[in-house]
Amino acid sequence: MVPISMTVNGAPVSGEVDERTLLIEFIRDVAHLTGTHAGCYEARCGCCAVTMNGETVKSCNVLALQAAGADVKTVESLSQQRLSPVAHITTQSLAGVYKPLEAMGSSHADLHPLQAAFHKCHALQCGFCTPGMLMVLKTFLEHNPRPSRAEVRTAISGNLCRCTGYQHIIDAAMEASVAMQPNGG
Amino acid sequence: MTPFSFHQPRDLQDVLKLLAEGSAPVKVIAGGQSLLLAMKERSARPARLVSISALAAMKGIRFNAAGELEVGAATTYAALAKAKLTGWHAEIAAVCGNLADISVRSMGTIGGAACLAEPRFDIPALLTVADAVMHVASAVGERSLPPREFFNTRGGTHLHATELLTHITFPRVDALSTLAFEKFRFRVFDAAIVTAACAIRLTGDRQVSAVTLVVGAVDLAPSTATATAQSLVGRQIAGIQAGEVAKLVAAEVLPPANRTDHHRRYQAELVISLMSKALARSGATKAEN
Repeated sequence: MVPISMTVNGAPVSGEVDERTLLIEFIRDVAHLTGTHAGCYEARCGCCAVTMNGETVKSCNVLALQAAGADVKTVESLSQQRLSPVAHITTQSLAGVYKPLEAMGSSHADLHPLQAAFHKCHALQCGFCTPGMLMVLKTFLEHNPRPSRAEVRTAISGNLCRCTGYQHIIDAAMEASVAMQPNGG
Repeated sequence: MTPFSFHQPRDLQDVLKLLAEGSAPVKVIAGGQSLLLAMKERSARPARLVSISALAAMKGIRFNAAGELEVGAATTYAALAKAKLTGWHAEIAAVCGNLADISVRSMGTIGGAACLAEPRFDIPALLTVADAVMHVASAVGERSLPPREFFNTRGGTHLHATELLTHITFPRVDALSTLAFEKFRFRVFDAAIVTAACAIRLTGDRQVSAVTLVVGAVDLAPSTATATAQSLVGRQIAGIQAGEVAKLVAAEVLPPANRTDHHRRYQAELVISLMSKALARSGATKAEN
């Protein structure tokens, strides 16, 4: 067991963990941020993508020890009001599934432009791959403000989605690229 | 994963000391993108893991006094892909920006790929075609190895367990006129089925003065088509038929007698088409079809 501390979404998180602990396990089990999804544990599906010191990494293929002291940002960092973990699920919060934004006391305006574009373009169905897609696309669009559709396809080549067939995800990325431009597009 | 202890020395000498102890199986971890996968399926079971990510001297790209491009072994693909390199050095950045996927490139390192020496990865073939020099350190000294002495033809490398690859030097930008690297894989993030690369130095009147032709993934170490390359020396680059030369390369690195199964025959076809592309990009005449 070793003590580890890092910054997750701007807040310091520390814990004593086994050396074998992966970054995804640290994020989900120690920092209690369950937005990042654990899919394949083989660095294939990309659902677990987070940013570490500004670069996207697959958190299932990084040891928590490798991220010690790093600045980690997860999907929760995109929408500020959701930074605190959900303490428990209530009947009311479950009843809100058809209006998810209202259920979390949020509105469309609070969303990151990329999340808003995903919402608008129907870029998710089951939503399992979405946290990874969002984190990879956010970093990609920040560095490539005017991508082509082919470039977006290549950027998300390490992220698998089994629902949408990718078309809507690419639509959303193109839409978000305009909204995310420094002058607002 | 089997249990291990994690060490993150701040000094190169401490890393070398840990490697020299040799009391328990030790593995060096740079980005860990291949090592962690191997550890998860327990094909690698180190008792000690020595991280070199805290050694700033092993990261980054610089030109040494001789004008050679010096790349730290722990430099990530992402850093190399972003590097502003000129001439044929730009192809190094292009190769590093076009393998695996964005997220893997921000952790994976050029030195890690060199030491793993997985035949299907791009780096061994790239280092071989560019005639890069691998600089290796251990507690007892240092040595520099050219690709043919670094990569083991039976797979893996000739590194000893106590040695650490510290940096790689690529020749000066004026050492080559062009370097073209081509590969084929089914999905963008897959490892290549075949890679083919050529490095050419031309004289002022565009005559070939030196050429290296390398094919990756057809053997356990990168294959060099020495005889074919030799036959091109002294010829005008524009007079070289890319397709014809590519067929000779395929015959040399994957002789028809060795094309015993479907995969091998497919690879031979790919060698022809990829090497032909690489040569055409370097100024040779394109195939008719």
